Amino acid sequence: MTPLLEIKDLHASVGDTPILKGINLTINHGEIHAIMGPNGSGKSTMSYVLSGRDGYEVTGGDVLMNGQSILEMEADERARAGMFLAFQYPVELPGVAGMSFLRAAVNARRLDKGEDEIDQLEFVKMVRAKAKDLSIDDEMLKRAVNVGFSGGEKKRYEILQMALLEPQLAVLDETDSGLDVDALKIVSEGVNMLRDANRSMLVITHYQRLLNHIVPDYVHILANGKIRRSGGKELALEVEESGYAGIDDAA
Amino acid sequence: MPESMMQPDLQDVATLNGVQAAALARWQERGWPGAEDEAWRFTRLASLDKLSLRPADANLANGTGNLSAHALPAGAHVIRFHNGMLVANSLENMPTGISARLVDEDDLGAIVDLAPANHPVTDLSVAAMTSGLALDAVAGATVTTPIILMFTGNSGSVSTHPVVLLRVAKGAQAVIAEWHSASVGLSAPVMAIDIADNARLDYAKIQQDSATTTHLAATGIKMGEAAVLDGFQLSIGGCLARLEAHVMLAAESADCRLSAIYLGRRNQHHDITTNMTHARGHCQSNQVIRGVLDGAARGVFQGKVHVAQDAQKTDGQQMSRALLLSRKAEADAKPELEIYADDVICAHGATVGELDETQLFYLTSRGISPEVARAMLIAAFLDDAVDMIENADLSALLRPHVTAWMLAQEGSVNA
Repeated sequence: MTPLLEIKDLHASVGDTPILKGINLTINHGEIHAIMGPNGSGKSTMSYVLSGRDGYEVTGGDVLMNGQSILEMEADERARAGMFLAFQYPVELPGVAGMSFLRAAVNARRLDKGEDEIDQLEFVKMVRAKAKDLSIDDEMLKRAVNVGFSGGEKKRYEILQMALLEPQLAVLDETDSGLDVDALKIVSEGVNMLRDANRSMLVITHYQRLLNHIVPDYVHILANGKIRRSGGKELALEVEESGYAGIDDAA
Repeated sequence: MPESMMQPDLQDVATLNGVQAAALARWQERGWPGAEDEAWRFTRLASLDKLSLRPADANLANGTGNLSAHALPAGAHVIRFHNGMLVANSLENMPTGISARLVDEDDLGAIVDLAPANHPVTDLSVAAMTSGLALDAVAGATVTTPIILMFTGNSGSVSTHPVVLLRVAKGAQAVIAEWHSASVGLSAPVMAIDIADNARLDYAKIQQDSATTTHLAATGIKMGEAAVLDGFQLSIGGCLARLEAHVMLAAESADCRLSAIYLGRRNQHHDITTNMTHARGHCQSNQVIRGVLDGAARGVFQGKVHVAQDAQKTDGQQMSRALLLSRKAEADAKPELEIYADDVICAHGATVGELDETQLFYLTSRGISPEVARAMLIAAFLDDAVDMIENADLSALLRPHVTAWMLAQEGSVNA
């Protein structure tokens, strides 16, 4: 079976600065991979390069989704093809009503697949049901996107979007940052509910603690723009013990 | 003034008496403002120079013009002006509580007193008046039927000078919209509005003239004690448009909301100029101005808030924000506060910005196309102003124009 995602010798720069220096990574359907690494190792750059943000220039290599290169695709096209990025810092959109935003996103994907726009009542029901699982109340759904949300609310709202958009590949960029223990638990449970044989995830994190809740199949250590070590979930514990020092040399 | 700047050519205007003769004399003496006139620093009228205009005459009064596809509020009463001339039968069957007739000499005097003083459009259009209408909401009447003043036109070689006196008598309420959808050389309407004690006017203006029309408006509003104005101006059409409104808060506890949106693309020039005078205390004024500019369009907001020495407990607010969608677009803002009283709350501000790249990426990363994402962010930006409109009929009249503008591609401004 064709892997869901193949990253081949990926090089990328921001401005004139090379950040990713030859990433190789294959993710099969249903697998959860964790990327760990110190600050400045290229973790967030990787999430933006995968999701197609402007300003992140690919200078070499390729990224294939279901066997097709996605590098020529715009961010919205990648999203409709099944890519989802849960932001480290979800963006506030003052004046953009949450429900219209969610519906626009869901409809964009449906229209792309040749389906009709979702029925409004059916949509509200679906959002409420999924929101409940993430302890998101109606009042929060009525607000403008991310405006006035706490850090934990913003992260839960990201997972709600993921639940509604049902991506094939979810990239979670430091989803644990800024969360206390309780919020981390709610978010992780939300993510775990979305684990599926047809859905893969790339969990990017600085700390091992998130991986106690979202248990990965594979762990990769990213340092200075390259994956330096790969292993099973026990690799995360090893890093927790000994830190990132010396990882660069281990490649 | 060089002769060429004196457009339109008034040679054929009939001999005038009284108020009109005086206005003509002022016009002939001063003409259009020159480059040295600070009030017109951002909006130059040199393009009028290239035109050869005459005021429209009765031969052009017939015809239906291009009625816009956008729906009118159900049950609205429409008063039509074609090429600046009142279509006579539109004064039949006026809603109860409203009287409508042609202006007389006394009305003209009232118009000159209410309209912006020493203003070229006031003087020119009173002198070259193509039609004059006096609308009165009688004391105590509550008229919820919207009255739409619809301005159409189809002659590029004429100037139009409709003059309207609108009086809302004590305790009366009225809902009035001005809708300009004309294709003429120069559209120069004068609106003189008197809102008496305890009266309320819900007012909207939509300037949606053709891409070759110059629209220069002079609107003067006087408010009595505890009078309320819920007003809104939308400037979306024309090649060059200046919507100038002067408000006099002449008695205590008046409440004036006068917000505006301008939407420009290609080489359009939109100017919103307001002059808010707090002459007495305990009045409120609030102006929310939003502009969106694409292509090589230019937007200007000039807002002066004057608080007289006696106008204690004034609350005067004004906020202008412009959004530039293209590198060639330009916005200028000149907010001015002149405060002579010491116990007031006044605030003003002006910003110019672009769409936020991070917000756009957030939306597109959810599969929303860049075009829809931009429209969502622009709509959110404009909603602050549109939401100011309280009257549901006027809001429903105005919103589709804003939506249609956002959905239209650059370069396809209504021709």
